[in-house]
Amino acid sequence: MTRDDVALSSWQQVGLVLLRTLIGWHFLYEGYFKLLHPAWTRVGTPLPNWSAAGYLKGATGPLAPLFRAMGESSWLPQLDLLVATALLLVGVSLVLGIFTDAGCVGALILLATFYVSAIPTSGIPDAHAEGAYLLVNKNLIEAGAVLVLLAFRTGRLAGLDRLRFVRTQPKEVAA
Amino acid sequence: MTLTPEQEIQGRRNFMKALAGTPALAALGAAAAFKGPVSGGPVRLGHIGVGGQGGFLLTVVDKNYATIKAIADINPGRFAKADENIAKAGHPPAKHYTDWKEMLQKEDIEAVVVAVPLWAHADVVVGCLDAGKHVLCEKMMAWDVAGAERMRDAAKRNKRILEICYQRFYNPMYQAAYDGIIKTGGLGEVYHTRLAWHRNANWRRKGEPPSKDFDASAWGYPTWEHLLNWRLYWKYSQGLFAELASHQLSVVNWFYGAKPEAVLASGSVSRFKDGREVYDHCYATWEYPGGRTAVFSSIESNAFDDYYECYYGTKGTLILKRESEAMLFAEGKEGAAATSLELASKTSAPVLESSETQSPTAAVAQPGSGGTFERRAGNIREIQGFCSAIRVGKPLLVGPDRALESARGCIVANQAVEKKTRLTL
Repeated sequence: MTRDDVALSSWQQVGLVLLRTLIGWHFLYEGYFKLLHPAWTRVGTPLPNWSAAGYLKGATGPLAPLFRAMGESSWLPQLDLLVATALLLVGVSLVLGIFTDAGCVGALILLATFYVSAIPTSGIPDAHAEGAYLLVNKNLIEAGAVLVLLAFRTGRLAGLDRLRFVRTQPKEVAA
Repeated sequence: MTLTPEQEIQGRRNFMKALAGTPALAALGAAAAFKGPVSGGPVRLGHIGVGGQGGFLLTVVDKNYATIKAIADINPGRFAKADENIAKAGHPPAKHYTDWKEMLQKEDIEAVVVAVPLWAHADVVVGCLDAGKHVLCEKMMAWDVAGAERMRDAAKRNKRILEICYQRFYNPMYQAAYDGIIKTGGLGEVYHTRLAWHRNANWRRKGEPPSKDFDASAWGYPTWEHLLNWRLYWKYSQGLFAELASHQLSVVNWFYGAKPEAVLASGSVSRFKDGREVYDHCYATWEYPGGRTAVFSSIESNAFDDYYECYYGTKGTLILKRESEAMLFAEGKEGAAATSLELASKTSAPVLESSETQSPTAAVAQPGSGGTFERRAGNIREIQGFCSAIRVGKPLLVGPDRALESARGCIVANQAVEKKTRLTL
């Protein structure tokens, strides 16, 4: 283990791994849900198919024209599949703590994309969100949290990365 | 039973008032809320029998719930109209078959909607269930009790869903009447129910065979006319008790929470002596435990009464008419005081209008007024419910056991007419 890791108290470690697991689950389920379609609710009603089209067409901010063009492009189905798969892979990475650094980077890219496609500038409640936001919304906060996970290398605290790390860094462990 | 327009409006208001404050329909279990969705697209359907009723069913298949992949009918003359109905319901074109077994073999379908003549229900439905398909079968369940039992057993054996088309169970008006009035004891004790289905028309249908060389005997009908008018011959039909009474009797079983113990019945071919075998006028009294009865009449010589179910309780009267109008009346002052429902009493005006000039449909409520419902809603929700049962295991509202009891009541009623005696069930 590195000296940085050793310096963390067990409460700090538990907190970081819990944060990683929660964010991982969020990504994992978002991806799973999007890939599940077509699907039915447990009460027996069919769910409309998921597509990023609505989200992209409703984009605001400086990059809005780009996102809107993506929403209307012919390769939207492939884009939908890509987004859903990326969410799922990031989720698996963070929940299991495997390739956690890559997972964190992936999460940051996705969250940054979601954020810049709809930067909250109005400061009043939006019909599609449950609160009022000005510049800072939950995507940005989640991105901040992922940055913390990346900085603390949480896969090496608890996760499958620990096995990889121990195997590939035997000398450092010995020291 | 005829009410003045004012009484009908008051009765409908009473019905809606009685329902106010009762829990919302179909409150769902908390368990379902904590489980995520399940994967699956619309249910892939095949339809067997696309004539009168089968053709109508094509129009009520919600395309979000199911896709009609193929249709089968021994009469190819039915396909053009069926295709039209399928297109109108927003489905892509379906493939055609004259042999339903071939359809099952060649098509990738999960479930079958069966609307063939009654005598063929058991064979077709058991065949579909044994082929691993779920089945939604038109009422009555089967021509005889043994056939209905075979169907029930085949569903159990193959672990497949079998639902019978008693659309009243899926009609929000009936569900509201049961949950908000019957179950809460709003009518007091109900000892008597009157069921009527009166029409002034000939049941015999007219139509040309699909082609000159069409051979109905290949399917068990000696002539084209026997196929077209299968409802008029005992070999294929159980007459008006099956086609009409079984709908209403199944609801009485539901509302009474019981099944009939005995039946008295009579019937005759009174008006249309044209070679038909089944009665054009028939009457039955079903006896239930606890001294309760349901009395049914169906006549083909007068339509004044139209069709309705009327539940007479010690505290009130509930009338469910034409599957689309619900009316509720409290019994006189004393009765009204004893009930928790605040209702207008009908004693201020005469109940029966003796005038023959008044059309029974003249007082049909304006669209959107309280107490009226869309009749087709029951059919649409029935097919949705069948699909939900297939996809996520949502409980059926009728099910084979309930349908079998209703069928038994109607089949034995015909036997009681024939034997001129009271029969126990």
